[in-house]
Amino acid sequence: MIKKIYIICLILLYACNSSKDEEKDSLLFWSSNNRGEIEFSEHFVNQWNKSQETKIKFQPIPEGQSSEEVILASVVGKTTPDIYANMWQGSVEMYAKAGVLVPLDTLEGFTEFIKARCSKKVLEEITSSDGHIYQIPWKINPIMTIYNKRLITDFGLPELPSTYDDYLKAGEVIKADKDKDGYVDQWVGYTAVKVIWYERLMNFYPLYIAASDGGALVKDNKAAFNNEHAIGVFQFLQELYQKEYFSKERLTAGQDRFITEDLLTQWKGPWEIRHVNKFKRRDDFEFGFYPIQVPDSHEGPVYTYSDPKNIVVFNTCKQPQEAWNFIKTLIDKEGDKKLLKITTQLPNRKNLEAEEIFQEYFKSHPKMKTFAIQANYIKGVDNSEVIVEVFDIISQEYEACVIYNKKTPEKAIEDAAKAVDNLLKN
Amino acid sequence: MKKKWLPYILVSPYIIHFIVFVAFPVLFSLVLTFHEWNIISPMKFKGFSNYIKMFNDRMFWKSLSNTFKFLVIHIPLQIIISLALAEFLNQNIKLKGFFRAAFFLPVIVSGVVVTILWQQLFGFDSGLFNRLLVSIGFNKVGWLIDPNIAMGSIALMATWKNVGLYVILFLVGLQTVPPHYYEAASIEGATHWQKFRRITLPMINPTIFMVVILSTIGGFSLFIEPYIMTGGGPLSSTMSSVLYIYKQAFQYFHMGYSVTLGFFFAMLILGVVVIQKRYIEQGND
Repeated sequence: MIKKIYIICLILLYACNSSKDEEKDSLLFWSSNNRGEIEFSEHFVNQWNKSQETKIKFQPIPEGQSSEEVILASVVGKTTPDIYANMWQGSVEMYAKAGVLVPLDTLEGFTEFIKARCSKKVLEEITSSDGHIYQIPWKINPIMTIYNKRLITDFGLPELPSTYDDYLKAGEVIKADKDKDGYVDQWVGYTAVKVIWYERLMNFYPLYIAASDGGALVKDNKAAFNNEHAIGVFQFLQELYQKEYFSKERLTAGQDRFITEDLLTQWKGPWEIRHVNKFKRRDDFEFGFYPIQVPDSHEGPVYTYSDPKNIVVFNTCKQPQEAWNFIKTLIDKEGDKKLLKITTQLPNRKNLEAEEIFQEYFKSHPKMKTFAIQANYIKGVDNSEVIVEVFDIISQEYEACVIYNKKTPEKAIEDAAKAVDNLLKN
Repeated sequence: MKKKWLPYILVSPYIIHFIVFVAFPVLFSLVLTFHEWNIISPMKFKGFSNYIKMFNDRMFWKSLSNTFKFLVIHIPLQIIISLALAEFLNQNIKLKGFFRAAFFLPVIVSGVVVTILWQQLFGFDSGLFNRLLVSIGFNKVGWLIDPNIAMGSIALMATWKNVGLYVILFLVGLQTVPPHYYEAASIEGATHWQKFRRITLPMINPTIFMVVILSTIGGFSLFIEPYIMTGGGPLSSTMSSVLYIYKQAFQYFHMGYSVTLGFFFAMLILGVVVIQKRYIEQGND
């Protein structure tokens, strides 16, 4: 009997061991779990596995409250994938400092490839404080102003409101109480009022970048936003709320006032094209995109926040060079073309709108071309380990000043800068 | 030999569970209160700095005051409404079973779902409550956007969500009161209110105690509602202590500090519950 049990145990042990051997030679790749990116990833993984010895095992990121939490849990549990595609640029520095990411510039062929793909500015942005590069700039969703073409015509606006002054004037023209209940129910725009830090990436931050031509929030380990640009943005937004050109309502995901045509504009990325086309209530609903509003005195191109998502290789990866060889297939010109087609997201590549290979796509998707042109003037986030806290501090002051008018813009920005300086000092 | 080990084997599942899921986390957390740790980097010993930081952290004290504000509204509201509903269901009424199920339904519905639903009801421009108010000639209320009202709105929602559970508890309490007490009181000419005040309330005192304790502990752990509905705003008026501790831990990765806050908060809950217990026991005597 004992002999039999012993043999069964040996067989089981062997079985476990052989399956581990198989896994040892493969690389685990996690992507975002949206349908488009799953399709995109599967396409490239299948293609790779057909011809390569080292196999790629693909899996969308496991379900969790947010992808950031899942990644954090996997880092703590040492169950990270070898490759993860969809890391928010602001999260990378923390992981880099904790030593859980592979410095990609130490891999053969990385530097040349990435220099050919990305602009100098993007490369500066992603270079860590220790001089290494831990992330591959992959895709962007620049924030622009979406507008309702019918409302522009109906209200006789001479041009798209591009400056603070024009936008405020448009706010006065559009503001209306359609159902005559004594309350405004038509506005020039809407943006989330929730105090949570990431909401500022869709309002304050793109406006600040636009006003300051890509200015930083944190520079040389100090707050760099106590300036006329940030104060101007707070003033502009405060006026929008004070004069009821914007609603203070907290809308849930299912409530979309742009779709119901109660808004002239909103600050959105290219994902909105699919969304509006899917949910619009009239077939002849027409919309377009133009750059974020700037101060009246602003000259030159208008910058915006790019909402960058990048690819990283974790240090649990046994074959980082092979991982990089696979990643290259995702981000070469053919890979980027597929990304555009399947996911409607822009690759983070220089001269995107002029590249021959993408012309056919842009011709058939003119709205995406607008975003591609905007992609020449973008900024991600500053490389700071505590960037989330920096946004949170700004968000607290934003709420007090912009939404509730409890502080002047000057005082709010000054207080936020002081708090950020204190944070960075510690 | 076999007999000697049997009791240990039988209690071992609980002992293992206790060590892994209670004792170890508590001891580890205690150690963590003296460290700085962002989960992914090695811990750094910081002495009492987390405790010093806690006493100087204005937002933490504000979150505590917000939590108490919530309790002050929520607990009396919860007890009054659930006791009134239980009293109603204790009468000989039609559709008793239906009402019991209806009152209990929100308890078993996901907190997230309920919160999203109420967020829409509380909407300033298009919410149902404000539409009703305007239709009868009142002004709109900033349920979730007015810093003076937001916590009250959340307390109202939390009461609606949990009232069914306490109705059941009170109903059980009410049914243990012997009917002949009421019969005797009726013969003596007691009014309905006198019967309620002199018979029902003293007899269901243990249930009241349990409801107070449960809703205090439940109220202290206020999280989902402000997390989804307001994010702690407007102007930090709905920043509950648990939400603040969560933010410190999972937004900023200040694990050592968040655990310090957690420890202090747990001690505070214990203190409040002990005081409540003594107070109610004194009342009982």
